[in-house]
Amino acid sequence: MYQLSKVDKKFPGVHALKAVDFEVGRGEIVGLVGENGAGKSTLMKVIYGAYQPDGGQILMDGKSMRFANPRAAMEQGIGMVFQEQSLIANLTVMENIYLGYEQQFVRFGVINWKAMAEAARMQLAKVKLDIDPGRITSTLSFAQRQLVELAKVLTLEERVQGDLVILLDEPTSVLDEDEVKLLFKLVRELTSRASFIFVSHRMDEVMDLSDRIYVMKDGAVVDMVKRGEASVEAIQHKMVGRVVDKRYYREQRQVPYDASKVLAEMKDVKLPGRVAQIDLKLHAGEVLCLVGTEGSGREAILRTLYGMLTPLAGTVTLKGRTVTRFSPRGSVEAGMGYVPRERKVEGIVAGMNVHENMTLSQMGRHSTAGVFRIGGEKALARDWIARLSIKASSETADCGTLSGGNQQKVVLAKWRSGGSDILLLDHPTRGLDIGAKEDVYEMIRDMTDDGVGIILVADTLEEAIGLSHTIIVVKDGAIQKRFDCATGAKPSLFDLIHYMI
Amino acid sequence: MDFQRLKPHLPWITLLILVAIVGTADDTFLKPANLLNLMGDIVPLFIMALGLTFAIYIGGIDLSAQSMANLITVVATIYLGSLGGWVALLCVAVGAGLGTLSGYITTKLMVPSFISTLATGGIAISLSQYLSGQRALNMDAAQRDAVFGWMIAKTGPVPHELFIAAVLLAIALFVERRTTLGRVLKAVGAGEPAARASGIDVARYKILAFAISGGLAAIAGLIFSVKLSGGAPAIANGFLLPAIVAVLVGGTPLTGGVGGVLNTAIGTMIVAVIRTSMLYFDIEATAQQMVFGLVLIVAIAVTIDRAKLRTVK
Repeated sequence: MYQLSKVDKKFPGVHALKAVDFEVGRGEIVGLVGENGAGKSTLMKVIYGAYQPDGGQILMDGKSMRFANPRAAMEQGIGMVFQEQSLIANLTVMENIYLGYEQQFVRFGVINWKAMAEAARMQLAKVKLDIDPGRITSTLSFAQRQLVELAKVLTLEERVQGDLVILLDEPTSVLDEDEVKLLFKLVRELTSRASFIFVSHRMDEVMDLSDRIYVMKDGAVVDMVKRGEASVEAIQHKMVGRVVDKRYYREQRQVPYDASKVLAEMKDVKLPGRVAQIDLKLHAGEVLCLVGTEGSGREAILRTLYGMLTPLAGTVTLKGRTVTRFSPRGSVEAGMGYVPRERKVEGIVAGMNVHENMTLSQMGRHSTAGVFRIGGEKALARDWIARLSIKASSETADCGTLSGGNQQKVVLAKWRSGGSDILLLDHPTRGLDIGAKEDVYEMIRDMTDDGVGIILVADTLEEAIGLSHTIIVVKDGAIQKRFDCATGAKPSLFDLIHYMI
Repeated sequence: MDFQRLKPHLPWITLLILVAIVGTADDTFLKPANLLNLMGDIVPLFIMALGLTFAIYIGGIDLSAQSMANLITVVATIYLGSLGGWVALLCVAVGAGLGTLSGYITTKLMVPSFISTLATGGIAISLSQYLSGQRALNMDAAQRDAVFGWMIAKTGPVPHELFIAAVLLAIALFVERRTTLGRVLKAVGAGEPAARASGIDVARYKILAFAISGGLAAIAGLIFSVKLSGGAPAIANGFLLPAIVAVLVGGTPLTGGVGGVLNTAIGTMIVAVIRTSMLYFDIEATAQQMVFGLVLIVAIAVTIDRAKLRTVK
């Protein structure tokens, strides 16, 4: 019904899509997987009309189509449920659902709110969401907003003739397990109304939901598998072009930590919000992983250790000294480094070059009376560019132009070159491709070998289990369970999830 | 060559084109003596723009610069008699002090700089009106010549103001390129959250940027009052718009992080050429601010980094 034939898309310097063939049948759920940079987002943008292909054809029921913009695609029945939710938080649910399409409710220049609420209620019923359409969107939970978004796309049903194709971009990334189950059930029921294209990083979910799965790598579709025809491992293998196994997390390099040397300690710490009774100890050479769902309190713990939040009660001790004034500056002076989740916002300064970024946290070390010794600074940057094989044209290359993996290496080098021995890593591998991820894992082992203590909030549970010496499960702002993760005796995914939810 | 790559070179290209246009229209324009006078005349404006560059470089703005200069002309005139040469120190202290106040309000009370500096500017205006009794004051000519005469003298054909400007530019350039202060200001302009997450006490440096802006506005006011041999609460009115134009035309966008003091030097020369060309082309004095307003709009529209702006209000 919906078909892409030999679709090509080029950007300056990148061949983003290479003769992609793609097909969605009526009432079908099609999965789309691939590593970051494989071309999934570009393909999606071509499908919902944000990009126009340079070559090939878009066919609907055999007719060639060309969409100038997303609205044109919507008018042909192609809707997109965005990962970064596109709802406007301070509008009501119904206003959001009919944003840009209010005309149908207008009488004499005035909106008939009753009619809109009635219509919105009907849309919400399609996604089995029983809420007042007059509610302000920001008061809804994340999962509810996701459903409103879906309901918004489903208004296409009344608006367009013909079939619907709905793109779901990472719809489960912040949902908990029950919410995911509900969403999947709903999507399956909705196949009577529409076809779906499901994009996710979570392989098990894609396998669970999709009738067929397209695997992308380097801008091309490398395989298409039908439900039940391939295992998770086989698909992963196709995505990355090699086998992902235990060695992936460098488990063979994990050595016991030095239990006699405590680098950081939190005692009965209470934080604003509902985080309370946090006790933890970080030792030299230890990777301590905080595991929990979004909003469980992991980030708050991390940011408190870094001095960005001040606890209400309890004590934080860094290398034997109790912290009295909480500030990132104090933490950095105590030898702490922070690799934030938002790499482009808090990690690197785009517009500054590599050596400027690397010394940003340790300017005192490279200056005399406030005047830089730029020669030494550059030498340090060159050294670390070589040590971490950072792909940058030189130490004076703008960090904003580097790839995500190389930016992350610059951030890590910033702290390591300054001699930080307590590192807080918040999703250090988020958005990195496999090769870059492995480089980060390798660096983590290098650092622990040097006696650095690392507190990690991992991107996936597998990553948490693979990398850590200790896992602390946080739920609703309290520590639920502490796992010892010595090599060979690691807890399973199931063990963790049991305490997380 | 695409526009993004051309952008950093626009200021000096604009300057060359303008000079060429005015030079062909008026053959006295390019004579060295004329050019030196032209540049000497613009020095107070340049120094004010130099200070403003620091505020704009971090992504803020200092709207108090003109009021500050007004206040300083009054302060300099009143206290020249009793303090002699030390009045210069008082002027810079007042300027830097009020700048610090703006910086404090901006960083600690989280009031956007365009409001906090507008407010401190208001304070400066009131102070100058109070101190002057709303009258134009005159310096004692003999004492002015004895203490600050060197500022407005000439060595051969070169006005001394140019040396002052050159020294201040050199210092500012050194601060910007070689010191931790300059590096932090760039980081704040280009990506403040990352600077903060690197353990830098961002607020302290931001306050310093406003203090520098205030201090340089004060020096501008001082030279201006020496030139005019007096002070009044509205004497420097008409400076702010061209000074902001100089910074932005020079290539330091309102979003901050790129450009710098050297750009402002070029921007000021552009302003100087525009100003003179208006005399040559018989544009009335009353229309000058309109021209600068238009240039400002064009300069902002061309230089601003739209990637950093999600919405404009």
